[in-house]
Amino acid sequence: MDENSSARLKRRLLGIIYRIGLFLAMLTICLPGLWIVLSSLRPTVEIMAKPPVWIPQEISFDAYVAMFSGIGKGGIPVIEYFRNSLIISVTSTVIAVAIGMAGGYAFARYRFRGKSSVFLGLMLTRTVPGIALSLPLFFLYVRLGIIDTHFGLILAYVALNVPFTIWLIDGFFRQVPKDLAEAAQIDGCTRWQAFWQVEFPLAGPGIASAAIFAFLTCWNEFALASQLTRSVSAKTLPVGLLDYTAEFTIDWRGMCALAVVMIIPALTLTYIVQKHLVGGLTSGAVKG
Amino acid sequence: MKGFKPSAPFLLLLPAMIVLAAVVVVPLLLSLYSSFTPFRLTRPETFYVFIGIRNYLSILSNTDFWWAFGRTVLLLTIALNLEMLLGLGLAMLVEKATRGQRILRTLMMFPMMFSPILVGFQFKFMFNDNIGLVNNALQSLGITRDAIPWLIEGHLAFIAISIAEIWSSTAIFAILILAGLLAMPKEPIEAARVDGCTPWQTFRYVTWPFVMPFAYIAMTIRSLDVARAYDIVKIMTDGGPAGRTELLWTLVARTAYSDGRMGMANAMAYFSILLSIAFTVYFFNKLAAARTQIGAEW
Repeated sequence: MDENSSARLKRRLLGIIYRIGLFLAMLTICLPGLWIVLSSLRPTVEIMAKPPVWIPQEISFDAYVAMFSGIGKGGIPVIEYFRNSLIISVTSTVIAVAIGMAGGYAFARYRFRGKSSVFLGLMLTRTVPGIALSLPLFFLYVRLGIIDTHFGLILAYVALNVPFTIWLIDGFFRQVPKDLAEAAQIDGCTRWQAFWQVEFPLAGPGIASAAIFAFLTCWNEFALASQLTRSVSAKTLPVGLLDYTAEFTIDWRGMCALAVVMIIPALTLTYIVQKHLVGGLTSGAVKG
Repeated sequence: MKGFKPSAPFLLLLPAMIVLAAVVVVPLLLSLYSSFTPFRLTRPETFYVFIGIRNYLSILSNTDFWWAFGRTVLLLTIALNLEMLLGLGLAMLVEKATRGQRILRTLMMFPMMFSPILVGFQFKFMFNDNIGLVNNALQSLGITRDAIPWLIEGHLAFIAISIAEIWSSTAIFAILILAGLLAMPKEPIEAARVDGCTPWQTFRYVTWPFVMPFAYIAMTIRSLDVARAYDIVKIMTDGGPAGRTELLWTLVARTAYSDGRMGMANAMAYFSILLSIAFTVYFFNKLAAARTQIGAEW
């Protein structure tokens, strides 16, 4: 009897410790983000207050209004940055996915000599740190006259995304059974038709999440963008964020608001793709 | 069709090859060449002066460079190991949860959505010595009376940067290891328990070998962009105070763009590229080995 109750006590204690641990872990993960959101809604006086004001006295959207009301009031041209980010990210994503689909299909469906070294080689091009790559690109772009243009950044981002897109899409095509396409070919489809009518629709959701991942990489990229763009005509949002620090004092509230604007698309998109993303990355880890 | 088979994958891979050659390989060759010149942005004619390996020699005797190199390796070692451990812990916590697992999983991925530049900014804000959340909390709780100069003192700044880095990348490990835990068949664990294994033994000899490939995938993905830390450092301290948090990447950027010494910067950049490549090749091989170990097709 005594053993029983002490075992029960121990189990309950472990349960409580587990709950506390989980809660603390989640708190650590979420708190920094929530703090940014909260700070973007508070007046600057409260952010600067000493001793700190923990419970916000008033909530306002002033920072957002100021940010989107043009250069004069918000301090930085957020709308232009937003537009640049969107154009560059979308265009380079579309191109990278088209190239990645061809490459991924080749890896998933064909056997050829040196397959795994080609794959490794592709991945290695991705490892070159953005800042190291920016040096020669900067020099070349100046020579070619495409520095500070959308085109230049799009080109760089396509190359940045292709290796990882191939990895992901390769995984998704592997999940589609080979037999299906073969059956379609026996029924008289060409390989091209079999691809578009059988394999592509099945791998579709996966490819979409690879696209979203590529989009996010472009959306968030900083090291290359900060060196290859200089003016409002091509600067992206991450580079724009630095505008706030370049000034003599830091406008914490404005920066927080811009951070929230940047994070919302990323948040939404990641939420949509999370399931497929993990599936694509790990395919082949358990079964071929 | 059969005769053309070898050329099909080649044709399919051709666009990828062309883009990568144009944007990565050719520029890198150019930068390799310029690392043998005293090239300065302000004096274009220096691009054609060949000075052999003098840049590399002067790097070898440059203490700032070696400090930055050592600091980069230290940061990566600390960060990757802690991320792996914390990710494993987090994954196991979430896997144990009986209710609300979907929400927990989404919350767990939260930091992944933050771009490194945002992570840097967010932690710069939180670690601000005057108005930051960390100091405010410490002071309100009475743990310290004076403000701790997080980003102003060298060692503390390094710790703050490590925390930011770990916060942002633990999610990748957690999510992939969790995928491994969920994909794992339950029978071996039960069999181990019936055979009288302790929980630790079960974990060490049953769970871990199965989850390992997933951990290596996470490692490989991480090693593809270890240089993300550049963004974080750039915005948090910009290598300061007095170069105490200077990493290879910030040093390269400073040498190239602030000092305008492109040739020298390219020589330094090659060290950082080699570092990245070494990481990737190492984990890629580990990944391949782990995959064959559990009989997967590659």
